[in-house]
Amino acid sequence: MNLESLALWLGQGFLHDQMVDKFWMFPMMETFHFIGLSFMFGALLVIDGRVLGIGKFISMKEAMKFIPVAIVAFAVNLISGFAFLTSDPGTYLYNIGFQWKIGLIVIAGFNALWFWFGEHKQLTQLADGQEAPFTAKIIALGSIVLWVLVIILGRMIPYTDF
Amino acid sequence: MDLLLWYENGLVGTFIRESIWGYPIVLSSHAVGMATVLGIALMLCMRVLGFARGITVTAFDKLFTVGWIGFAINLISGIILFAGSASLYFFQWTFQLKIGAILVGGILLKVVMNAVRANKSESTQKLLAAACMLCWLVGVITGRLMAYITA
Repeated sequence: MNLESLALWLGQGFLHDQMVDKFWMFPMMETFHFIGLSFMFGALLVIDGRVLGIGKFISMKEAMKFIPVAIVAFAVNLISGFAFLTSDPGTYLYNIGFQWKIGLIVIAGFNALWFWFGEHKQLTQLADGQEAPFTAKIIALGSIVLWVLVIILGRMIPYTDF
Repeated sequence: MDLLLWYENGLVGTFIRESIWGYPIVLSSHAVGMATVLGIALMLCMRVLGFARGITVTAFDKLFTVGWIGFAINLISGIILFAGSASLYFFQWTFQLKIGAILVGGILLKVVMNAVRANKSESTQKLLAAACMLCWLVGVITGRLMAYITA
């Protein structure tokens, strides 16, 4: 399936019609998207901040409880983001800001998997105040940098439509 | 009004309206700062509301520094963005409510921390945290709606 037929397919159906016809749908989805990103980034700041040693005395095991918070918030943003996409797929799919944003989200996803399968178990054994291993710190820093870039690129989408 | 127009027509206002990348860059910083300050505020409120009880609230202290950095980014970027249409924004109820909500939310954050440190009853702490969370959420919602409700 090429971009063109994907755009055609996304641009039809119930969600597209709602996004286009109801004037309040877009602002409402945007509001959800911003609330979702705040919860998600906040949860990541707790987890990654602990790993990086900013909040060293945050219990690592307890900080991991924020993982589901991040996942639920991400789901909210996936749904609201998908709604934006259906509203005007022909524009989004060809937008360079959008393309980079999606690419970085995929990379951030792999980074998260690396954290979960590579470091998570070991990290939960950390005592309060104890330094996290170097690899975990790299992953945590990567996560923050990647998601900051995702936020920036998302905000840039209206301006990267060449 | 004179002051608003002076600011709007001055250097900052002209820059934000006329430079091609100025507006998107400042706008993006505003989103990153928002995610940071709001993220920390929301997570602290969640903790006081009873989530992840094993984290001592005082351990959150260091994260507040991060929250303050986010706040500084947004204060600066917000002042710059405001110059874009100061004379319009100032009279929008969405803007007025946004600023009010952020002020109250910021003060409440301090009040919540004080209540925790002073060992106030759990229901008092939770009530304050819920109010604080609500203020910050109103801040985001009205901020977003500023683009749509220009009355």
